[in-house]
Amino acid sequence: MYAIAMSEIGSGKNLGTPSTEPAALLRLIAEQGDKSALSDLFLLYGAKIKGVMLKSGANEALAEDLVQETMLTVWRKAGLYSTSRGAPSTWIFTIARNLRIDQLRRRSNRPYEDLARVEIASEAPSGSAVVEQSQVIARVSLALKALPAEQQEVVHLSFINDIAHSEIATRLGIPLGTVKSRLRLAYDRLRPLLEDLQ
Amino acid sequence: MTITHHPDMSTLMAFSAGTFDEPYAVVIATHLAMSEGGRDIMHRLNAIGGALLDDEQETEMSSGALDRLLAAADQPDLPEQITPSSDVPLPLAPYLPNGLTSAKWKWSGPGVAICDLPTRDESSSRLMLLRVAAGRPVPEHSHGGQELTLILSGAYRDRFGLFGPGDIADHDEDVEHKPIAEMGA
Repeated sequence: MYAIAMSEIGSGKNLGTPSTEPAALLRLIAEQGDKSALSDLFLLYGAKIKGVMLKSGANEALAEDLVQETMLTVWRKAGLYSTSRGAPSTWIFTIARNLRIDQLRRRSNRPYEDLARVEIASEAPSGSAVVEQSQVIARVSLALKALPAEQQEVVHLSFINDIAHSEIATRLGIPLGTVKSRLRLAYDRLRPLLEDLQ
Repeated sequence: MTITHHPDMSTLMAFSAGTFDEPYAVVIATHLAMSEGGRDIMHRLNAIGGALLDDEQETEMSSGALDRLLAAADQPDLPEQITPSSDVPLPLAPYLPNGLTSAKWKWSGPGVAICDLPTRDESSSRLMLLRVAAGRPVPEHSHGGQELTLILSGAYRDRFGLFGPGDIADHDEDVEHKPIAEMGA
């Protein structure tokens, strides 16, 4: 028997108002190398990614650099985006997250990059449901705001502020098990909406 | 491959948020590489990040940021880092470029060998391979924290049932279990 194991030691108004759906912009980049589509995506997402990076602990200059890196990766990998990878916001979040792991936390994002390759290799092509994906994201966002405050707090601290569960427990002065159970409860509330994504 | 033992939802959420250190991330990424159902759940969890990004407050970008991006878009991309092929799932391959059998095993009791895998992170976790002969107990590798054990090949059985390839045991420190490697596996 072989096993691999680890253990511990111890709102939406935008400048310029781009007129097109993000998924359509990604397709324009992938198929035509359209730089005006890149500009539009930058106007849609750049300032939001910067907000996330600042909350993750980046300083002003690093946050700006991470926005550049994220948008450049979107430009270069737009051909790999497909609706089976979720709404554009979801895909862009995962790109920003991987760069944040690598550059902000100075940790290896290799497991994430390799997993993405596994997904590309095993993915069945899918051409529909772009609009529905974005609508589902809008509903998920409403549902997130409707979560009890204590659940919203741990979801934000984890996904946006990039804080490990054990550190969240320390900051809030609650047991680690409580952090995990609040996250599980949040998922249970969101689950019906998230399952619509499939 | 039928996966019957999945990670805890809070573990998958930490992976999606990206807060794990390297040993955790490797074990979960390897599990997901072996589990299509797990990858579906991960897509759903990533949508939480997508929705939060959509709702994020905009923070003004410096002037010239867009011009800088458009100029960079004209530059050729650097070649991708290619992970060598190996007989292990892709996320594990960088740590075992020549596969399982080439691991540098250290004797760790009768029928049990361990191989520590060095990670880039200066993390407080340890990533290791275990090799356990049929009928032998799987050694405890926890030191009082969370532990993740992913079966790559063969199987073990404990009071939670049979764990086969792709199955993951996701236990807190307070879980007592005595897994035994299966015969003929």
